[in-house]
Amino acid sequence: MIVRVAMRDRAAFDLLYRHTSAKLFGVCLRVLRDRAEAEEALQEVYVKVWTKADRFAISDLSPISWLVAVARNHSIDRLRARRLSAAEIDEAAEVADERPTPEALAVSGGEQEAIARCMDELESDRAAAVRGAYVNGDSYAELAERFSVPLNTMRTWLRRSLLKLRECMER
Amino acid sequence: MSLDDGQTHEPEGGDDMVAAEYVLGTLPAAERAAAARRIETEQDFARTVDRWEVRLAPMAAAYAEVDAPAAAKLAIDRRLFGSTPPQGQTGGIWQNLAFWRGLAGFAVAAMLVLALVPLLTPPAPLSPPARLAASLADPASGVQYLVVYDASRGEIGLSHVSGDAGAGDFELWLIEGGNAPASLGVIPDGASTHLTVAEAHRTLIAPGAVFAISLEPAGGSATGQPTGPVVAAGDLRTI
Repeated sequence: MIVRVAMRDRAAFDLLYRHTSAKLFGVCLRVLRDRAEAEEALQEVYVKVWTKADRFAISDLSPISWLVAVARNHSIDRLRARRLSAAEIDEAAEVADERPTPEALAVSGGEQEAIARCMDELESDRAAAVRGAYVNGDSYAELAERFSVPLNTMRTWLRRSLLKLRECMER
Repeated sequence: MSLDDGQTHEPEGGDDMVAAEYVLGTLPAAERAAAARRIETEQDFARTVDRWEVRLAPMAAAYAEVDAPAAAKLAIDRRLFGSTPPQGQTGGIWQNLAFWRGLAGFAVAAMLVLALVPLLTPPAPLSPPARLAASLADPASGVQYLVVYDASRGEIGLSHVSGDAGAGDFELWLIEGGNAPASLGVIPDGASTHLTVAEAHRTLIAPGAVFAISLEPAGGSATGQPTGPVVAAGDLRTI
């Protein structure tokens, strides 16, 4: 019986992995910008998901969004734990500059439209900073440098932007 | 440049702003670690964080899918199961689910995560099974749904894989023993939808019962019994 349960769990896990690993690897890779580290992060994320799946029950996120959130938060944890060298900051700025994208906002769906509309209400550099922080995991320091403002100013920008986003999405 | 500028311990906006910055990802390492600990131990804070995750989640559409190296899966298997996967030894519903792979993408994955949750928590002494699943399919009609029934919430989750009701609606029926089909409701449009089961029907949903989908006029059968063709059916199994 135990063997059967174990096999069933395993088949379930295989299926889950097949359907979600490309998205989650995309998240790890985008945030960590290093294939080997992203691969390691991906492993840790699935181990975490497998052992903490009960946490999903108390979340209002859709299953795939919950998985993405686990991967994103874990990757950002790794990123923050890294020692940030000046070279990496430069590299980060370059990676971000390659994509001046409205990418996130081209997707259909009510929620997408809501956040797209609300991002549009922000000043464009602040919207770019919010997106850089969320999607790339950029730190205040990196964003402050890229937008040439003091670190505390950047923090204030992002906080006010978050409050405006919430206010906008709730109306 | 210092990340910890001494002012960060009294954020304006209190917990809500800490949660927002945690989700945005911008908290410096020490504050981020402190917030992560609070998520584990403080329910209210965890909920505040979750609300921010929900608000900002649409931005995650920016992440492109990138195939993970095969070595990653092998390493995970070793960590979780202590070995690499055996081939072709799974049975029952999972084999059935595996057949659906590639058809439903995230919809199936979504249903699965829901279905997995109770597998991972210690089994409670339940008399009726907590969750039942069925794949409803008929190659002739091309209609396919994956269905998971959650007894604790009296709720059916439906993942639409294929098939189109045209101008009409699909209606879900419970067939149990020799009884006449009982309507569980018109299936809402969408890739992943839910139906709440009437109290009276909940006790009838048990392993071996059959779910069937009929094609009905828009709004569902007016007679209380199926009037259109049955386009998909399947029996319920414990998962």
